Amino acid sequence: MLLETLGVAALGFGAFFCAIGVLGVIRMPDTLTRLHASGKVATLGLFGLLLGGALLMPSTALRLLVLGLFVLLTSPVATHAIAASVHRRREIAQQLDDERQPGDDDDSAPFVADVTAVLSRSRLDEIVEALERTQQRRDHTDGQ
Amino acid sequence: MIESEFAQSAVRLILLALVILLIPASYRVVVGPSLPDRLSAVDLITTLLVGIIVLLALVEETPVVVDMAIALAAFAFIGTITIARYISEGRYF
Repeated sequence: MLLETLGVAALGFGAFFCAIGVLGVIRMPDTLTRLHASGKVATLGLFGLLLGGALLMPSTALRLLVLGLFVLLTSPVATHAIAASVHRRREIAQQLDDERQPGDDDDSAPFVADVTAVLSRSRLDEIVEALERTQQRRDHTDGQ
Repeated sequence: MIESEFAQSAVRLILLALVILLIPASYRVVVGPSLPDRLSAVDLITTLLVGIIVLLALVEETPVVVDMAIALAAFAFIGTITIARYISEGRYF
């Protein structure tokens, strides 16, 4: 009975932090702050639910432990990857802003399309370089 | 196994609350102004789904259901990493 009460309390703790995290994801003003809020769901919320499940049904405790360890390892990595992508897009947007002349055009629209264009252009440059290298190597072998 | 009436109804209530939480989380997927916003919201939804599957295992009283949660967490990790790399580099690998 005590075990069940504790388990329900842990489940309520987890659900409370899930609700807080979802509220933060909706209400926060910025991408990075929204990432911070969704991290709370992955740690406090999910771990509360896992602890409650292990207390309520001890036969799942081992599986829940494995799941908890896996989430503990992967969730920070995924959040870090998303944050790094935000940072890189901001860097490219800043570069584009610096390159843009004051008299060019005055609409300061968001740079989302420009950033994607820069990324695909750099990818295209890589492909062209690789093709040129193959062509040079072929010419070299033909010459011999 | 869950014996008391109170714990059983509490588990069902919390499961319902988590399912309802999916709706405001998908709001950010639809509205989110930038690509990383949408990606982080999808990540949040899969985290909520892992919690929902764990609660489903409690309701059904079958421990095997938790394995589905482990598989979902693994695939969600791979997908999030890949799409984050696509957003930042313009390619997958």
